[in-house]
Amino acid sequence: MKLSRVALLGMAAAAIASISAGLASSASAAPRTDKCAGPITFGTTISATGRNSTLADRWVKMTEVFETEFNKDGGIFIKECNKSLPIKIISYDDQSTPATAVTLYERLATGDNVDFFLGPDWSAVSFAVSQVVERHKIPTVMSNASAANIWTRGLKYIFGVQSTAEGWSNNYFEMLKGLSPGPKTIFFVAQDNLLTKDVVAHFSKKAEAQGIKVIGSEVFSPELKDFTALALKLRSAKPDLIYIASYDAPALPLIQQMRQMKVKANGVHEIMTTGKLIRTLGKDAEGLSGELSWLPGTKGDYSELIERVLKASDVDVMDYLWTINRLNAYLVMMQAVERAGTLDRDKVRDVLDKGTFKSPVGPITFHEGGISDVPAFTTQVQDGKAVIVAPPSVAQKPFIYPSPSWQ
Amino acid sequence: MLMPLVFVAAAAVPFVTQSYGLAFSISLLSAFILAQSWDWLDGKAGYTNLGHFAFFGVGAYAFAILSSKGVAIYWGIAAGALAAMITALVLSFPLFRLRGNYFAFATLALLPLFEILAFNLTDITKGADGIPLSLPRQINLLYGLLLGGALAAVGVSFWLDRSRFGFALKAIRNDEQVAETSGIRIFPMKCAVFMLGSAFAGFAGAIQAWYLGYIDPPTVFGLDVALIPIAMALFGGSGLIWGPLVGVLILGTVHDLLLTHLPVLQTTAYGLLVLLIGRFLPGGLLRTKLLKKVPFLASLAQEHHDFAPSFSGDLGATPLFSPNARTENASLVLDVQGVVMRFGGNAAVNDVSLQIKPGEVIGLVGPNGSGKTTLFNCISKVYEPTSGSIVLSGQSLASKRRDEVAHLGIGRTYQNPRPFGDLTVIENIAIALMFRGRDPLHHKQALVEAGRFAEFAGIGDKLSVRADTLSLQDKKVLEFARALASAPRLLLVDEVASGLTPTEVHRFIALLRAARDQYGVTIIWVEHIFWALAEIVDRIVVLESGTKLMEGSIEEAVNNQRVQEAYFGSKGEAA
Amino acid sequence: MDITIYLQLMIGGILLGGIYALVAFGLSLIYGVVRILNFSHGTLVAIGGILASLAYTDLGLPPYVSGIALVLAFGLFGRLFFQFLLEPLSARTPKEAEIGVVLVTVGALLMMSDIAAFLAGPTPKNIPVRFDPIELGDLILSSTQVYALAGIILLTVALHFFLRYSWFGRAIRAVSQDAFGATISAIPGKTLHGNTFAFGCGLVAIAGVLYATMFPVDPYMGFSLTVKAFTIIILGGIGNLTGSLLAGILLGVVESLAAFLIGSEWAPGISIMLLLIILVVRPQGIFGGKPA
Repeated sequence: MKLSRVALLGMAAAAIASISAGLASSASAAPRTDKCAGPITFGTTISATGRNSTLADRWVKMTEVFETEFNKDGGIFIKECNKSLPIKIISYDDQSTPATAVTLYERLATGDNVDFFLGPDWSAVSFAVSQVVERHKIPTVMSNASAANIWTRGLKYIFGVQSTAEGWSNNYFEMLKGLSPGPKTIFFVAQDNLLTKDVVAHFSKKAEAQGIKVIGSEVFSPELKDFTALALKLRSAKPDLIYIASYDAPALPLIQQMRQMKVKANGVHEIMTTGKLIRTLGKDAEGLSGELSWLPGTKGDYSELIERVLKASDVDVMDYLWTINRLNAYLVMMQAVERAGTLDRDKVRDVLDKGTFKSPVGPITFHEGGISDVPAFTTQVQDGKAVIVAPPSVAQKPFIYPSPSWQ
Repeated sequence: MLMPLVFVAAAAVPFVTQSYGLAFSISLLSAFILAQSWDWLDGKAGYTNLGHFAFFGVGAYAFAILSSKGVAIYWGIAAGALAAMITALVLSFPLFRLRGNYFAFATLALLPLFEILAFNLTDITKGADGIPLSLPRQINLLYGLLLGGALAAVGVSFWLDRSRFGFALKAIRNDEQVAETSGIRIFPMKCAVFMLGSAFAGFAGAIQAWYLGYIDPPTVFGLDVALIPIAMALFGGSGLIWGPLVGVLILGTVHDLLLTHLPVLQTTAYGLLVLLIGRFLPGGLLRTKLLKKVPFLASLAQEHHDFAPSFSGDLGATPLFSPNARTENASLVLDVQGVVMRFGGNAAVNDVSLQIKPGEVIGLVGPNGSGKTTLFNCISKVYEPTSGSIVLSGQSLASKRRDEVAHLGIGRTYQNPRPFGDLTVIENIAIALMFRGRDPLHHKQALVEAGRFAEFAGIGDKLSVRADTLSLQDKKVLEFARALASAPRLLLVDEVASGLTPTEVHRFIALLRAARDQYGVTIIWVEHIFWALAEIVDRIVVLESGTKLMEGSIEEAVNNQRVQEAYFGSKGEAA
Repeated sequence: MDITIYLQLMIGGILLGGIYALVAFGLSLIYGVVRILNFSHGTLVAIGGILASLAYTDLGLPPYVSGIALVLAFGLFGRLFFQFLLEPLSARTPKEAEIGVVLVTVGALLMMSDIAAFLAGPTPKNIPVRFDPIELGDLILSSTQVYALAGIILLTVALHFFLRYSWFGRAIRAVSQDAFGATISAIPGKTLHGNTFAFGCGLVAIAGVLYATMFPVDPYMGFSLTVKAFTIIILGGIGNLTGSLLAGILLGVVESLAAFLIGSEWAPGISIMLLLIILVVRPQGIFGGKPA
């Protein structure tokens, strides 16, 4: 049949082309010969597709815009060369798969011959990539890799900016201390995920230490759609506080069904209350408290650049909660290179290790193992809008407790 | 040949390319081991295991769990392969009760099942936290191990193509029931190939865990990556030695290229390629006609039976097999007592008894639905009789499996011929020679001897012809040759004359006569064509609605009124 | 334990199961007649849900309007998909045809989910129509789900009568029981196969819309939904729609109870264990007739 012949020839051609191109592209960019020529290249992967793409798909554009805007602001001044060099960020899609990320970072190292790395995100991917980073001795600032044991292996070239479990709801629990009458009981609900379970583990202890009794702790699979069983447990336990540690998508049906089942409490907290969640829940979101890494309008170092980048790439930090960590990673790396004054990787690594860097959320220093922490603001949905209620220094409105919507 | 060059090139990779080339090659080798080991069950045995990747994950977890407790790396890898094998063994029992699409469904379900187990058995697997590993990451060593595994996988494929075990699998792929009645014990064979494939998948999984330094449930059991090695094997050509390699090389490279050169929609392009192959080249790239015209590429696409030796055409002086003695230990070759076969409320065979002496030829007749083929199925244990006894030369067949019954000396042909369709004439006969109970031949010898049987039956000139392309008569002749090759004491012949011209029928009768006279084979022949029976049978048994109407000479049968009524209705006249 | 809790769980399970069954209907028909294992089935459901959700939020179309449009669109899509991509495979050897179907439907799955994620974004969406919950004493029923279940039961009854008494329906049943005999009786095989496939895809559209009113849909959820649909058609018996409905409900109830008694993290595993057990113990399904 003619069609199949055409298809066949096309595929044969594609096959031959792909094999030869594949072999050829093993060495696509020459290593840097002149220290002061050309842009400073940074290599990274972003989970644009696959499991984690809901958290990161807009970051591809955001990274391109960051590169443009940063270069507009003047690039990085390299003392050794006595001039400013522009930056170039090469990014690939790791498809949320650790094995793919590893191959791509290898390519960035020896195929594209980048000067430095950035990222990646997410614990599973970062774990796998960290070995590549260490082997090639190319420093990186990772983002959103919160698993504690990434940082306890004594690796020298990895640094990370993330919201860790320990820091997450600190402001929230501090705020609870100031309530009178305060909550007496709390029920934890966690998505079956490393980060969310870590958060629950940490704050269960903190709750007990504050005199709030933990009367229940449940875990649910992110694939679960029917939460009748869970809602029934919550309803019969009658806690003062319900603390949900879950990404926004799995929490959506949970909260909807809690409302339908008339689950009552004095306060309901969801650690990742995104704009998407609030919009989709509509009236059901009223009174819901949550956390946010940063809100546009908050003033800080580089905040103007960040706001420009976010606006031009149409990224809403209320929806993409993890954005500020990635952008902070970029900012930190840029500052480190500039402070080192050279493109020598080991010198940049030393600067990262010992320095303190500016960011819109405050100064960032890397602790033992390379980890840093970004404190989160506490928010609450009041009259359909999310407002910051803690810490007091940036609070826009007072925290409403008990929440009439949930009683 | 071209392919060994590929492996030489592969061995040189760590020394020639930079680490990106190495990383890329590692991902290709891992995919290759998965694809090649998958194809043993699919291409050879005909079972599509969509959950093959689950064994990869089992291997990865076994390795990770042991390594994180301090077990040495090599033991960990061995444990990974072993854990996968044991899992396959355990799963064989429920899974191989299924066939075809149901088997595919069930194996597909293994992936989410294992993922959930990995998530929830947190004491062992650490659940969603995953297992981090602090192992020295010796990339070259890793690569060497994977390359070794890949070479071993190729070696296994070669071995399967040329070994007795491989022939059993090919028979199973074509027709399990006929394979059994040819003397193959199918469950251990299926189980063995399943375990073999799983072991390799587990090995690859263990290496991957070492390579990544971290695993969690979605990484090793994720549905998104699980079908990729299978698509690769199918893409290149399932059932061909080099099919999976071609598929892996092309799709693996395409995947990498797409990721690094296409800014968006890489998966769409990839999916499109898979879809087009499915639509236009489902046999795989290596089976396309265009490819076969290119000489060195055509050598890649050889099907397995192109390796069979050729036959000289000389029948030889020695007999095909040592003839059955006319008088044996027991005076009866077959003693059927009161056999009943019920399906639900319907008794297809209702209290039939029959005694046959060695060397007799018995005709078994009756209208359609009278239970003749059912009786055959009871004797060859395709069905287990509801009650009654069947004794073959003094041995009760009561609890025997089909392959055991075949080994005891029962051969049969089928109403509609059931050759092993995608195998050649010579392979069909050779399989019977390899697996028969009496004096089974080594497979190399079987392939030679098979020629003689074919020559005896009259299809000696068609040895390399694929069985499903034969004419109806030739298929029937092949079945006869195959049945004879198992050196049977008792041959069950089921309606062999229908659809044949009188000349062809005579030819068959001559074959039956030769079998009886030269080799002492006892024959029961189910047939409608009375004149054919009349030429050779000693007596006739008439069945109707499952019961034996009468037994006697042909003249007696033809003139018996009840027989006439059974065939023609109550007002019928004698022919 | 409080009996109302169990009742509540059962009701939740029934309502959930109804929606599972609906997802399986299309697959049951398609597999029963055409014997095609369509891996992209669940993805098609997800796409239907996504489109309906977009129609609601961006265009303001109520679900029943978008539902009708989607049924027609999916039916057409299914017909063309079958005509050009699947039907030509039947001319090949059975083994190649099987392989071809696997590759085509897997390829379609990859393409559909990737394009959907690209065009509509990977974030889960749903159709936030909500009615007030119905309260019977201590029991609370989600009215959305009750309406949906009522709709599904009506649909099952309608389909049942359709299959029993219409020409098309009887042809479908004839073919699924005995393909060879049906061709002898001059039921045009290929056209029937294509129309059944289209019909099945139309049912998928309805399933997608209803699913999205209750649960969030995203482009990547398709495959696990397909596995669940397979489970249901095996449990209920291939081609047996009423059986699928009952099997779906059974599955929903078992999952719901398991979530409460064992823990929510095991709930998705229940359906798989059930599938494996049924396949081995009784492959014709709980309600099915002879094995396929």
